[in-house]
Amino acid sequence: MSAPNFNRREMLTAGVLVGSAAALDATDRAQARSISGDVPWQEGQANKPDIAKPGTYLFLTAAEAACLDAALSRLIPKDELGPGAKEAGVTFFLDRQLAGPYGEASHWYMQGPWKKGEPTQGYQSRMTPAELYRAAIKAIDAHSGDKYSGKTFSQLTAAQQDEILKGLEKGDIDLKTVDAKSFFTMFLQNTMEGFFSDPLYGGNRDMVGWKLIGFPGARYDYRPYVKKHGQKLALEPVGITGRPAWKPA
Amino acid sequence: MMKIFSPFGAAGLAVAGLLASGSAQAVDSSFSNIRHGKELVDAGDCVSCHTQQDGGKKFAGGRAVETPFGTIYSPNITPDPETGIGGWSDAQFYQAMHHGIRPDGKRLYPAFPYPYFTKLTRDDVSAIRAYLNTVPAVKSPPRAANLTWPLNHRVFMRGWNMLFFTPGTFKPDPNKSAEWNRGAYLVEGAGHCGACHTPKNFLGADKTSQALAGGAIQDWFAPKISGDLHDGTGAWSVDDIVAYLKTGRNKFSGATGLMAEVVANSTSKLSDADLHAIATYVKTMKPEKNPPPAPPQARMDDPKMKAGAAVFADSCSACHGGDGKGTPGLFPPLAGNANVQQHDPATVIRVILDGARTVATDAKPTTSAMPAYNWKLKDDEIAAVASYVRNAWGNHAPPVDPGQVKAMRENLREDHASGS
Repeated sequence: MSAPNFNRREMLTAGVLVGSAAALDATDRAQARSISGDVPWQEGQANKPDIAKPGTYLFLTAAEAACLDAALSRLIPKDELGPGAKEAGVTFFLDRQLAGPYGEASHWYMQGPWKKGEPTQGYQSRMTPAELYRAAIKAIDAHSGDKYSGKTFSQLTAAQQDEILKGLEKGDIDLKTVDAKSFFTMFLQNTMEGFFSDPLYGGNRDMVGWKLIGFPGARYDYRPYVKKHGQKLALEPVGITGRPAWKPA
Repeated sequence: MMKIFSPFGAAGLAVAGLLASGSAQAVDSSFSNIRHGKELVDAGDCVSCHTQQDGGKKFAGGRAVETPFGTIYSPNITPDPETGIGGWSDAQFYQAMHHGIRPDGKRLYPAFPYPYFTKLTRDDVSAIRAYLNTVPAVKSPPRAANLTWPLNHRVFMRGWNMLFFTPGTFKPDPNKSAEWNRGAYLVEGAGHCGACHTPKNFLGADKTSQALAGGAIQDWFAPKISGDLHDGTGAWSVDDIVAYLKTGRNKFSGATGLMAEVVANSTSKLSDADLHAIATYVKTMKPEKNPPPAPPQARMDDPKMKAGAAVFADSCSACHGGDGKGTPGLFPPLAGNANVQQHDPATVIRVILDGARTVATDAKPTTSAMPAYNWKLKDDEIAAVASYVRNAWGNHAPPVDPGQVKAMRENLREDHASGS
């Protein structure tokens, strides 16, 4: 069976239907809102992000988590520059994303007609991201089992894992139930998101991604630094929910 | 100046005298008198307490007024004869305003600020009645108060009045200007500013030795508005005070919380001359006779201050400025801000937790708002940043403890759950 692709462009151009799809969506977290009259404000209420709750995995099974741990450790490995994606909690980030509105594709148009789309049209699978991950991990483990005498992906050597990941990236490997390239593209993107997004979403633990690239974090205001030309500012990164210096010693 | 509230006043005698002389006095229902009455009703902000929030009928009562002793529901003061005050004689209306006594002889609770309204002249009370006679009658039965002992017994108010209430019309001070006297009459009478801004004793009566020195009310702290430089209106010019009361904003501050209602329903409707008079009077109010000793300014190398500085830099400085100077008229400056430096930190803690929005007035129709940080900052982080803004840039006020933040967080959660 070939990957279930479709072209959503015709529907996306039908603005009325897009609007009604958005209106039907029960989760408004990721939705735009129309506001008229007063600017909404209510004491004690904030338009706040969903903070990832610590705890066990909500979506991934242990086997799936092991596969993702191994795969994203090859995309951003731990090395002399610092912790990698696994150490930064990216698997946990992916779990929370897949368990939430992103995993459900709740803000995407996911109806027919199902036609094959162009690569420039972005994600074209009929599957939600959660369905895609579940099917792809299963298929990747099956593929490595076929090739390497029953071993799962996480049991392979780094070189063997890299070979499979490269095969997925190029589309050389046929995963049968899912489009390998679509999955790899999404997985690489999500891994980077987990490594570099605010720690409140569960990844980028201790802001290791930001420290690696020298990003100063979620700061509002750089006016105090405008005139400091050519100086190394060495700003400690700050997350939306803080940094260690916020705690009285 | 006059003695505003002397304890152990001869309330009983005065009441007896009034009842004896309570002759029928017809209300002047000319347009000019009704208009005069409306100005006084605006100055008294009667509508705020006597109207239910969120779309209640004007003056029909029923609004819950939280007091430290329980909840009182404001009565209906529309002219409805059965459930309002339409059946009251003008003498009975004056008796309620001047003595705090209902037509049935029962005593009103001082949540109705008769200790202030007693200052009103008889003519002005008549004008208020003339105006209230013109508002639409609404049938809305009064709701019983829910108070703790002993205040749940109205007879207790007889003793309260003997202790804390001196009836008597305002007497101008001949040594002061007409404007000052007009301001005093409005502030101490209809405006009843001290009902919120004067601290209360354990029975809810004004601590008269500390008039306008700031009072705790409904999880806010109504700040000191006497003329102190550090935490009063000393740094505000008369024009600054007028701008605040008229537009809800000036270069120092914006009205929010309960004061937003006062500005919207009352002070923004007053004449410039009256606002000028109020400001002139308030500024001459003497600083407290025995103010608590100024707390030592917290050291900036203290761990709590360093944490507060970090929270401030990351979360507050974009609007309020790293130097605490804000953007006058839009984002209040915190440096030198009297509201930030009240000895009671309730307002500072509350605004950080819940955010705040300035009032919209005809003069300044666009509100500015601060978002809530209750989801983002922990109790110890709020205590740190509150302590920091109370002591940075030359400010000084007692530091804030995480326990105070925790208590306020719980109070606000209950307030929001009950819709108040």
